[in-house]
Order: sequence, then C-alpha cells, then structure tokens
Amino acid sequence: MLEYLIRRLAGTIPVLLAVTILVFLFVHLLPGDPARLVAGPDASPQDIAAVRSEMGLDKPLPMQYLRYLGETARLNLGRSIKTHQTVAELIGERFMPTLLLTVFAMLWSVTAGVAIGVLSGVKRGRWIDQTAMVLAISGVSFPGFWLGLLLIDLFSVRLGWLPTGGYGSWQHFVLPAFTLGVAVAAVMARFTRSAFVEITAEDYVRTARAKGVPERSVVWKHTLRNALIPIITLTGLQFGFLLGGAIVVETVFAWPGLGRLLVDSVAYRDYPVIQAEILLFSFEFVLINLIVDLLYGLVNPEIRLR
Amino acid sequence: MRHLLTRILLVTFLACGSSAASFAAKDLVVGVPDNLTGLDPADLNDNLSQSAARLMFEGLYMLDEHMKLQPQLAESYEANEEATLFIFHLRKGVTFHDGTPFNAAAVKASFDRAGNPENHLKRQSLFVMIDHTDAVDDYTVKVTLKYPFGAFVNDIAHIGALIVSPKSVQEFGKEVTRHPSGTGPYAFVSWTADTLKMKKNEHYWKPGLPKLDTITYRSVPENGARIAMLQTGEAQFIYPVPPEMIKSLENSATITIFDEPSIYVRYVALNNLRKPFDDPRVRLALNYAVDKQAFIKVVLSGRADPMDSPMPPLLGFYQKQGSYPYDPVKAKALLAEAGYPNGFEITLTGGVSTLVQRGMQFIQQQLAAVGVTVKVEPLEAGVLTAKEFNVKTPEDASIVMLYGGWSSSTGDADWGMRPMLYTKAFPPVLANLAWYSNPTTDAAIEEGLNTTDPTKRAAAYGKAQAQVWHDVPWIFLAVEHNLAAYSKNLTGASMRPDQQFHLNEGADLK
Repeated sequence: MLEYLIRRLAGTIPVLLAVTILVFLFVHLLPGDPARLVAGPDASPQDIAAVRSEMGLDKPLPMQYLRYLGETARLNLGRSIKTHQTVAELIGERFMPTLLLTVFAMLWSVTAGVAIGVLSGVKRGRWIDQTAMVLAISGVSFPGFWLGLLLIDLFSVRLGWLPTGGYGSWQHFVLPAFTLGVAVAAVMARFTRSAFVEITAEDYVRTARAKGVPERSVVWKHTLRNALIPIITLTGLQFGFLLGGAIVVETVFAWPGLGRLLVDSVAYRDYPVIQAEILLFSFEFVLINLIVDLLYGLVNPEIRLR
Repeated sequence: MRHLLTRILLVTFLACGSSAASFAAKDLVVGVPDNLTGLDPADLNDNLSQSAARLMFEGLYMLDEHMKLQPQLAESYEANEEATLFIFHLRKGVTFHDGTPFNAAAVKASFDRAGNPENHLKRQSLFVMIDHTDAVDDYTVKVTLKYPFGAFVNDIAHIGALIVSPKSVQEFGKEVTRHPSGTGPYAFVSWTADTLKMKKNEHYWKPGLPKLDTITYRSVPENGARIAMLQTGEAQFIYPVPPEMIKSLENSATITIFDEPSIYVRYVALNNLRKPFDDPRVRLALNYAVDKQAFIKVVLSGRADPMDSPMPPLLGFYQKQGSYPYDPVKAKALLAEAGYPNGFEITLTGGVSTLVQRGMQFIQQQLAAVGVTVKVEPLEAGVLTAKEFNVKTPEDASIVMLYGGWSSSTGDADWGMRPMLYTKAFPPVLANLAWYSNPTTDAAIEEGLNTTDPTKRAAAYGKAQAQVWHDVPWIFLAVEHNLAAYSKNLTGASMRPDQQFHLNEGADLK
C-alpha cells in the first residue's frame, strides 16, 4: 500500500510541471494588453509604459517563465496586478470559504443523492422512483442563479430567516451550500440508481439472494459496495470541480471564493493570480485523484495489486 | 441619608438612560458592485475604491456632491494670471489617523510621491504639469507649473491628489495601499476579501463630526442580491440599481430611490476618417435616424435625458446647443445626397454588459429603418480595449462605429472635451475614438486650458461645443441618470454626477 502511495505521489510531479508550462503560455496568449487595462482609460502613454515595465512584460518570454518557475517553487506567487496584494494573501483569504462551502455542499448532496439513488434503485419503477427521478432532472435543469435568487427572496427577504449572502456564521452557509449541492445531488441520484440497477442484474447478486442472504445485506453489502467504485469516482470529480470555485453561487451570494477571483482576474488579465489559481486547482485535482485511487484500493483489494 | 440615596439613584438612572441611547451604534453598510482595488489615492482609477478613499483621505480642495469646488485642507489659494503659479494656505490643527501632524511638508511629500514617474502610480499624470512644490512655511505651499494649466485647482481636487500621511509611506512603502492613513472623517479598520471596514475618526478636525460609528463596504456583484440586502436591512445604501429594477423599489415604505442626472454621456462614436463617416451628411443622417426619446424609454427605462451638447449639463461651462430631432425621412434624404440611397452595411462595436447590448440592438433596429444594416459586435473588456487603443496610426483603426460613453472624472470641462475631441488625443494617447479633428475645436480647447479666468474659459468652451455640435462626429444619444436606493432613515448619502458614491460628513442614520 505504501509503495503504491509513493509511486502515485512521484507521478504527480511531471504532471504539475507540464501544467505550469501550459498555464504560463496560455495566459500570455490571451488577447488584450494588460498594461493598458491596468493603467486605465485616463492613462497617458508614459503611464502605460511605466506599468508595463513594472509588470516585467518587456522581458523575453522564456526569461519570464524561468523567473516564474523559480518564484513559484519558493511559494512566492507574486503580486496581483490589480491590487498589488500578494497572490498568496489573495488566495489565502478565499481558500477556506471555498473549501468549507464545497465540503458542506458535498456532504449533504452526496449523502442525499446516494440515498435517493439507492431508494430509487431498490423501488425501481414504483412511484418513489418516478418522483425521485423527476426531482433529479429538475435539480440538474434549474439554473443556479435563478434558484439562488429565489431562495434569497423567500428565506431572506420574505421570511427573514437567513442572510442574503456573505460569509460568516453557519446561517451564511445554508442557502449557498444548498444551491451548490442541488445539481450534485441530482447527478449522484441518477448515477447511483443506474449503477445500482446494473449491478443488481449481475450473477453474484442473484446468487446471494438464492443463497438466502437477507435483502438488507444484499442491498448494502453486495450491491452498493460494488457500485461504490463509480460513485467514488464521480464524487471525486465533483469535489475537484467545486473546489475550483462555484462562480455562479459565489456571485449570487457574494461569497468570497476562488471562482469569482479567477473570473475577475481573467477579465483583468491579472496573470499572477490566474496562474496561481490554475496551478492550485490542478494540484487539488491531482490530490483528489490520489485519494480516489487509495479509496479504490480500500474498497476493492484487487486494485492494490496493480 | 434618604436624600443622598435618592440622589444617587437618580443620577444612576439618568446615566443608564443616556448610555442606553448611545449604545445604539450607527453602522452604515453600503452594498457595492465590485471589489476594491486598493486604498492608496494616488494609485486608483476605479470609482469604487476612490469613493472609499475619499472617506479616509482629504485634499486641499474637493468637489462636493454637485461637483462644485470647495476648500478642504486648504483654506484659500492664489494664482497668477498665466496659471503657472499657485499658492495654498493650509488649515491648522489637523492630524493624520496615525497621529502625525498635517502640514506643508506632508503636502509636498504627497505631491512629490504621486508625481514621481519612478513610482509608477496610476494617477501620476495629474501631476505632470508640476515643476516643483515648495513648503514655504508650515502652512503655506507654493506650486510652480511647467506650463499654464487653468484647471489646476480642479486637478488637485481629484482623488489622485488626496494627502497621504508621509509616515505611513515611510512605514509601509508599496503596501501603503493596504494601510491607508489620511485626515478624513473615517479611519481604516480592516479589508478582507470583499469587505472593507472603517470606523469614526475620533480626532476629526470638524467638531461634532462624523456622526456614523462605522462604515462597511460589502461587494455584492449580483444586482438582485444587492437589492435583497437593502430590503432585509442588511445594507442601508446600494448602487447601482439597473434602470429596469427601479420600479420594484418605488412603492416601498422603507426605501428611497435616488435618481439624478449624471455627467456620463452616452454616444456612438463614428470613425470620422473612414468611409462612409468621413462625409458629414452621413453622420448627420444617423443623428436624425435615431429617436433619442425612444432610446431613453426602451434602453434606459426613461432614466436619462437627451444630449443637447457634447458636454453634459452638470459639467462647468456647459452650453446647450440644440437637438437633432427624430426625422427618418430627412435621414434618408441626406444619405441619398451623400451617395447612399440604399444605405450601407456597417459593424457596431461595444461591450458585453446587458445594457450595452440592449442599446446596440436598439441602434441596429433604428438604423435598419433608413436602410443602414448594422452588425452588432459585443466584445469582452480586454479585447475591446485592445481594439480601441492598440493602434499605431489612424489607418490601423479597426473600429468604425463604437457604442461608448464618457464621464469627466475631474468634473472640469477640459476633461469632458479634450480626451475625446482634440486632435492630439487620437488613440493610443487618449480617447478620441471618433478620430475627430478640427483646428477650430483644437484652438478653443487649448484656450480653455490655458487660462483660469472663468469668463474666458466659458467663451472658449462655448466655441468648442458649438463647433463639435455642428460637426456631428458622434450620434449624440443621452445623459444617463445615476440610480441608487437607500433606507429612509439614512441622510447624507448620494451618488455624485460622476457616478461615485458620496457620503456627506454630516451623514446620519436616525
């Protein structure tokens, strides 16, 4: 197991290196001159030239990359072109709110989604199944901003139970985590149900039933345990995606998250922030993949041997 | 003994009563659309950060909510006739939030730092006309200019010239943008992610002010959520409110609407150097082809006024010129005369926001009625700026028709005309995106800049406006209103005509 872990960890380094090159090249190919954007519409050519040299944009590209790589390795992620704040600080301020929101959204949505999916799978074809699947389709189809605004109108403005947005106490988490989780729960429900239906048709399940294994055991120990592999994969993907920041939910609920930071930074051509965020998200995905792989190993011992 | 006891009880009772009243803290929360970019006044170019900086910093002179010049840290000034020498007499007894005294040395340090090209501060161009600044004595500052600049006092009333504590610059260097220290009514507390907190400056030089205890700026990008904040009482002032959403707030018992003309002029810049817009008849035709009243009603929900001069009414030296009324028949006749009886095809470029796209589509429909086929091209901010300003020669310009606008951030006529209508303001130098050039207009603009005499300036800008109005380089559309909303119990809060949030020093929450 340990050897497996070390092998997988070592494999992440070339991936991250390749990402830094791609990210660096990519942001420099975006249209628009960051120096003029930063200097503003009122600026004179002297102002703009000044900004350009401050940003180091007048040096050749390979030199800029090497400098970038060296600094990043030392965790000196530079300064935001827009606010001159250190990128580390900017991201630091938003990392916990994003992580916490993602965790809470995932906690409820995966639990609810899988539970509903199992229920649907077990009661396949009955009214519970039909209702659950209609809810699931709705969950995926409702636009996040529409649902969010609707919830704000109902629970904040009309009922006054919850705040309209922002980050603070547990009350601030309720509406954003719910809105964020709806689509995830819907997907998990449908996915779990299909995985369930597929596995129930397998021979070993029929054998277990024939053997006289109690139904509850058939459902949880045999069917669900095997359905876990694809469910874990999907959960990992969703988690990684949400960690990248949920831009719509962050915008609607004024949540200080990494998604909004990334979108604002792209619009502003704030290269240091864009690069740092994409690198962070890639690292998070790599880490999640690693955890998912380890979980596979736990759930299905055969995988460890490979 | 009994009398003493009664006395003690009475005093205690009264003391409790008055402290109970003072317990009700006056906390103002302002819902704003974006995040701040910084709090160093010499390094800001966005309205939002500037409005926050104005609460913490002050200048020698300032523009009040009607864009009128008022003394602030200076009590008076003198200037010579040629507008090359300015002497300011400073107010005494003022201190910075960090305790250091405000004096001429602080003014000189502030001006020198902001104007030093090596510091690369964004507002450096405000100081480019200064040759040197001298602290004649503790409370007198003498500024010598390299060339005449009639608008100098307006220039230093600009946000970029607010006075920064020299000690804060020494202590924090480049980080001073996160550790603001000024002389203003409110002092910095904290700035994390999208929340800025300020508190009352207990040692503010105006007695009895300010009245509010704290001010918090919360960045809420979604219009609907910001309105919800106002409705739940989480915020007491929000802006902007999109024109179509104002109606929903109109009948509220607790909310007041703010709807005032701004100095933002909305127009379509036509490339005067490129066919077909090099022919003034075509430009004139388009002005007759667009129904300005309908534009205001449909695109801006009625919250604007038609343009009747290249400058907006609230800008000093504005002079009404007239109107180009809706007359599609005349438009078609003019087009035919110019050689386009069947119209022509053209691309209209602009930004991607909802209002801008709606405006462009409106223009498209109006011009279709006179045979002009418009293709609408919405571009993302960075791409648009590149197209507008990445030009080495006028022939390189790739935009022929631009849905744009302008607001004079200095509140002065000069900045309301020169950046867009002066020959030397061709991109990339400034924003003359219509590529308009007329020696008469140039001369008038120069005249207005080279003197401080208001009568001479009025005459000069009158000439400039008349010439531009006659030359029709743009489709003149409308002067937009500023729209905001606030709690009825808030006084002293408003939007300045340049669309910046403004809080009077006497602002209060009852």
